[in-house]
Amino acid sequence: MSKASNIVKRNFHRDSVQLLHLSEEAKRIDGVKDAAVVMGTTTNKEILEKLGLLTDDGRAALESDMILAVIADSQALIAKAMQQIEEMILKPPSVKGRAFYSVDAALQAVPDANLAIVSIPGEHARGVVLKLLDKGVSVHLFSDHVPPEHELELKQYAKEKGLIVMGPGAGTSIIGGKAIAFANVVKRGGIGIVAAAGTGLQEVSVLLSEAGLGISEGLGTGGGDVKTRIGGMMTLQSIDALEQDPATGTVVVVSKPPDADVKQAVLDHIAKKTKKRYVICFVGPQSYEIPASVRARVTGTKTLHAAVIEVVRAADPTRHAEITKQFVMSGNELAAFADGISKGLNEKQRYIRGLYTGGTLAYETLVMLGPMIGDVYSNAPLDPKLKLADSYRSVKDSIVDLGEEEFTVGRAHPMIDPTIRKMRLVEEAKDPEVAVVVMDFMLGYGSHSDPAGAMLGAISDAKKMAARDGRVLPMLAHVCGTEQDPQSLSEQTAKLRNAGVEVLATNALMAIESALISRRGKITTSILEGAYKNFLEGF
Amino acid sequence: MGGKELAEKILQLFTSELKVINIGLDIFSDALKAQGVDVVQVSWQPPLKLEKEYEDVLSKML
Repeated sequence: MSKASNIVKRNFHRDSVQLLHLSEEAKRIDGVKDAAVVMGTTTNKEILEKLGLLTDDGRAALESDMILAVIADSQALIAKAMQQIEEMILKPPSVKGRAFYSVDAALQAVPDANLAIVSIPGEHARGVVLKLLDKGVSVHLFSDHVPPEHELELKQYAKEKGLIVMGPGAGTSIIGGKAIAFANVVKRGGIGIVAAAGTGLQEVSVLLSEAGLGISEGLGTGGGDVKTRIGGMMTLQSIDALEQDPATGTVVVVSKPPDADVKQAVLDHIAKKTKKRYVICFVGPQSYEIPASVRARVTGTKTLHAAVIEVVRAADPTRHAEITKQFVMSGNELAAFADGISKGLNEKQRYIRGLYTGGTLAYETLVMLGPMIGDVYSNAPLDPKLKLADSYRSVKDSIVDLGEEEFTVGRAHPMIDPTIRKMRLVEEAKDPEVAVVVMDFMLGYGSHSDPAGAMLGAISDAKKMAARDGRVLPMLAHVCGTEQDPQSLSEQTAKLRNAGVEVLATNALMAIESALISRRGKITTSILEGAYKNFLEGF
Repeated sequence: MGGKELAEKILQLFTSELKVINIGLDIFSDALKAQGVDVVQVSWQPPLKLEKEYEDVLSKML
């Protein structure tokens, strides 16, 4: 009879990725049926509970405590496994190459450092970033939960020093052709990107690269930059830099809708202070006014897909159609594709469930689905009325961003750790009203080494579960990555297709396809044409 | 600083060879090394939380 056991280590800290590796190592110990090594956050305790890994000892753990959890067949096996895990966690994390234990020591050793990546808990970021800026080092600040007053202080200081602070909450940058944090291996070229939306930067840079257009620089500013309190400080600074960068010909500005005053400030800045070609991508349902004086060189878009199409149109007007062929499917093609899938559904199956790891992609899907199918629930909805009461339980049509805080406190992001999405997919498969599941797979540096492979077990379990219930469960995927990424776009795509998952070239096409499948025949030609016009091209 | 001077150091960052200090998650160091970037890792630990009375004593001593 299997039994769970927990040991709690008081005030014992490892970062979320180290804990993920420790958990994987613990699961491989002889005699262990399941295991986890996590910080004692509420999210982690809920997940351990669902996996049958939590005991009263673990339930009493605090956020600053580490929980060692094991399931094995006997007390002796548990004791042996726990002893091994205790040895594992005491080993200092292995670091290849040079390592330091203080920022000062690192700065002394590398006096010519020009960039730092900071991914420590947000409340501790201020002091570290100030030290770096003092020494003339620009910062990619990956950390979340940096207090807003610290963000303002850090960005003002960076601006004074002529440096850049990307973030807080910056997931992605591409600098001098190198992928920083979660970023893809893209071709180099003349398109510069400023993005307050990390996976937005990834989708745009990947699609442009696959279209044969390269990226000069990709500057992630973090979502907070376009709020009134920051005023778009780093967005404007990045625009100035790309405007002066001789390697950049066209600039793309990507963000969820900025606060109204910041939106206006960015549009005014582009109209008055720039001369290059711009494609603005404020992902959202609302249009915005491009000043009349610059409409010949500035295009507005509402989705990442449309931004890519417009950049290609601007960069290579004569070969535009040929280049974008790989991303474009006509309404008729998508409808025929959807018919082929939806004919296997029974009449109860009518809802879409989106399980996203990329926040901007989840948002793009929400923006597009609204006009096609009406209300869509989410843990990060467009309309607060449509917020899921429980992020762990989908309702009707639901698009879930698994990278939101409630899923990530004390855990690695779902782009690295597939555990939460695997569990959720199986949950969705139990619901007889689900018509189609949509998922993104983010490739590139930083992400899981095999995100498609990691989901195959759960995909197969979910399909079998539906089959036992006399249903089929169609699944759609978009793989955001390039052939040159460590995981390889074609390999990841092939794994999903072999598992019976349909793969679409862009997230936006996947959103339309999911609407067509779930509403079979109820989306009129005019609705579909509206979606194409509004969301797949610029204005 | 104005627009042009402001952008100068950032432009240098685009064209200079990157020399990176990575503070926190070591996957980011590994990723940069795989791309041939010069990077050093700072293994950061949160400051120890002291009991209030020890903290008071220490702050008087230091």
